[in-house]
Amino acid sequence: MRTCVITGSGDGIGKAVAYALSKTDFFDSYALPGRNKPDILDTMKAMREASVEVQAEYYEIDFSKPEHIPQLIENIMKRFQNISCLLNIAGYTEPQSLLSTSLESFDYTYKVNVYSPFMMMKECTRYMKNSGGKIVNVASTAGMTPRPGWLSYASSKAAIISMSQTLTAELAEYGIKVYCVSPGRCATKLRKRLAPEEDPTTIMQPKDVAEVICRLVAPEEQCLDGQNIVIRKQV
Amino acid sequence: MYTLILLAGGSGSRMKKNMPKQYLLLAGKPVIMHILERIDRIKEIAEIVIVCTDEYIPLIRGMLVQYNVMVPVTFARAGDTRQASVKSGLKSVKTKNVILHEAARPFVSANDFIRLMREPCENVMYGTSIPFTVIRGHDTVEGVLDRSELVNVQLPQKFNTKILLEAHEKAEQEGRLFTEDAGLVFHYYPDINIKICEGMVYNIKLTTSMDFVVGEMIYKEYFVRRK
Repeated sequence: MRTCVITGSGDGIGKAVAYALSKTDFFDSYALPGRNKPDILDTMKAMREASVEVQAEYYEIDFSKPEHIPQLIENIMKRFQNISCLLNIAGYTEPQSLLSTSLESFDYTYKVNVYSPFMMMKECTRYMKNSGGKIVNVASTAGMTPRPGWLSYASSKAAIISMSQTLTAELAEYGIKVYCVSPGRCATKLRKRLAPEEDPTTIMQPKDVAEVICRLVAPEEQCLDGQNIVIRKQV
Repeated sequence: MYTLILLAGGSGSRMKKNMPKQYLLLAGKPVIMHILERIDRIKEIAEIVIVCTDEYIPLIRGMLVQYNVMVPVTFARAGDTRQASVKSGLKSVKTKNVILHEAARPFVSANDFIRLMREPCENVMYGTSIPFTVIRGHDTVEGVLDRSELVNVQLPQKFNTKILLEAHEKAEQEGRLFTEDAGLVFHYYPDINIKICEGMVYNIKLTTSMDFVVGEMIYKEYFVRRK
């Protein structure tokens, strides 16, 4: 049994990845944890339409409460007895300047974007470390270059890039490969909060990012871990 | 199947730290966990007996949960000497063959353990050649040892449990002290074949603070390098 855990599968890149993966034979089952049950159930419906054999289950969790993650992973392990891949895609943004950003807002952004991926990697590694596996973290080009007004989001994505590089080396001993992708402008709900005036049809689509992530989790891919892979598409 | 006795009773007095070296962090991970995690991946090891002082058992139990070590672990009380600690661990061994290792040697791979187990001889030790000249003496030179006749003893070692236990009982009865077990078994059973397998250059024993500096390099080069 090869189980893939995907966060943020209710919409955007996470939904596109779940759908794209359901058309492959990389995994036997999928665990889709998140807060927005109706959206994730829609994703599961789309996955089953793509492949009748796909086994996907919803797990309720609010990623602004990372302390609940150990129980989540334990529940997934009880159900599937295996986690071979983790895709940290869920994200949050509240774009504000330094003087407008409250401690609560900064903290919330970090809980969803940094602490939860940290806890997901930690708890999954406890089970993956004897059999190996893959982890993909979705960061952002916002974590690489200055973005005035996006302090909490941009810095949280910089943290994900750094964490991915550190863990690539640290988890190599377990046979766990850690990948990091940094999409540029991509037509998601999160992007709409960052750039509300932008026409989403003129920028990269979630399925474009999903295609890259699918290539990374493919069994034959063995060389691209440890890098911050920038995904951009000229539209 | 094998039982592995992990010697973790050292006080670490040469390190001049508050805690024995086997519990200090190496690359952010307690030294003892480096080896326990690797042993956990070896299917042929049915059980680990950790020999340590009672005060550290709760600490180790916590680490085993934290690192999700699945292989069954029991504890035996460390003795006053290394030899007494091995004997204490041997009392809990139920398998025909036993592997001895020490927590202060974290740079042994799962393959190194497997190579030892797959060696047909029942009693096996790892050893490396001596790369320097060794002279006998204290304040003055008393003689030159022929290094071509000498071997640097490394752990892990593998023994027939019954033979090792009997040798320990004889040593205890005679009040003889040995600093490692291949020499102990050889002393009482000189006709038993104890094979020496080529040891590993990276398998250093962490003894001084400088060993931790070197150890970080060994860990990065031999254990976390990109494969």
